[in-house]
Amino acid sequence: MRIEFRDIAGARWLPTAALVAGLALAASNVSADDDTSINKRVPADPAGQVEVSNTSGSVVVTGWDRNEIEVTGELGEGSERLEFETSGKRTRIKVVLPKRGSSDDSDLYVRMPAGSSLFVNTVSADIVVQGVRGAQRLQAVSADIRTEAAAEDVECKSVSGDVTVTGHGKPGMITITTVSGDARLQNVAGEVNGNTVSGNFDFDLGATTRSRLRSTSGDLGVRAKATPDARLDFESISGDVRLNLVGKPQAEFDISSFNGEIRNCFGPKPERTDEYAPGRDLQFREGAGSARVRIKTLNGDISLCSK
Amino acid sequence: MSREGESCDARVDRALAGLPRELPPDRDLWPEIAAQLEPRRAQRRWLPLAAAAVLLVAASSLITAQVVRRNATPVATVAPAASASGVVRPASFGPGHALDPEYAAARQQLAAMLAARMDRLPSSARQKVADNLAELHRAADEINAALALQPGDALLEELLLNTYQDELAVLASVNQLANLNGTVVPEDEGIKL
Repeated sequence: MRIEFRDIAGARWLPTAALVAGLALAASNVSADDDTSINKRVPADPAGQVEVSNTSGSVVVTGWDRNEIEVTGELGEGSERLEFETSGKRTRIKVVLPKRGSSDDSDLYVRMPAGSSLFVNTVSADIVVQGVRGAQRLQAVSADIRTEAAAEDVECKSVSGDVTVTGHGKPGMITITTVSGDARLQNVAGEVNGNTVSGNFDFDLGATTRSRLRSTSGDLGVRAKATPDARLDFESISGDVRLNLVGKPQAEFDISSFNGEIRNCFGPKPERTDEYAPGRDLQFREGAGSARVRIKTLNGDISLCSK
Repeated sequence: MSREGESCDARVDRALAGLPRELPPDRDLWPEIAAQLEPRRAQRRWLPLAAAAVLLVAASSLITAQVVRRNATPVATVAPAASASGVVRPASFGPGHALDPEYAAARQQLAAMLAARMDRLPSSARQKVADNLAELHRAADEINAALALQPGDALLEELLLNTYQDELAVLASVNQLANLNGTVVPEDEGIKL
């Protein structure tokens, strides 16, 4: 199925089209309250794949328990059309812009089967996702991304936009990549990986099995409960790394910084790596657990504590 | 002890060659230096400290310093300024080592692709990308400089390798975002960055 809103703005045939559309409303759920409004609903596979693309404005996606996809909102003035295609399990929703000229922001509100997977791609349109249990891949250039994580994989990628992921404590796999955007995770569990150049990460994690975080100049702040066989690996060049472990630490620690301070609330004190160089090392085992914690920095300070 | 017919320079060279190559300080000078410089927590703080330590060592033994200067290992290659594309430049791996040509080619290709797609990004995002690539280059320079002072340091080598990998990842990632959003976007006044 394909529906297009061609040349909506400023079209001369608009009055006629509005009349036709008004009459069609009785038999169809497609509506056009004015020349830019969107209201469309189609049947959908409960475990399908939904792809949404919008350049600027916003994309709000909500998971529901119906086997339907609904799109409402406003198409920005000057936008060419809204592309809405379903092919098998895959549904594609895209704001198409004219090749030349400018257009206003478009706001899309999408409701989709909660168990379907979701792929959203924007430039400067903020992304908000709630209640989607399927896998998510959310990408924005300069806009913020905010989503909820269930047990499926969540991947968020941005250049300068901030990322917020709120979980429900269920183990999943979260991957965050930013260039300068900050990221905040709450109540996320399982495997958490992240990479940034100058963004700051603030992660409040539940039971964590694996985590690999890297930054160049951004700070990495992590509060986590390491599972008995966890592998936590954090690295930064000039950003500070702060790790607070929940509960009694049961792990082997390998901490070193070429020129940063190492402060630890438990275990032995760090030692100089070289008589004439500023490097410091801290290697020890705490408890009987087989978890491993590894933190490396060039200039960044390292803080290791338990609560 | 001079030999007949031997030039003055040759005698000096022979005398210098007989001197020890290194002369460690009588005691560990680092704690005092660190204590004096501690308040200045600049990101590149170890460099002035290391430089100060080198100066003190040099002052304690001028002759040793002369020998060291004569036999100094070349320091890490100083990469030239950013290329015309503004996103890539040659990379070294510690003193006297260049990165693998295949790696360099992949890096160059990604940078060229990104340069061609940069105009698809909002202007502020373009600036962020350029700033952060420069940040990665600064990090690589800093680690390379440290490697010149401590060749073979495992931590530095790991950090440098990962920094170059991060640069590739950023180039690939922004390329992907710019390609997916293959539409030229208007200037982004008011976009929150």
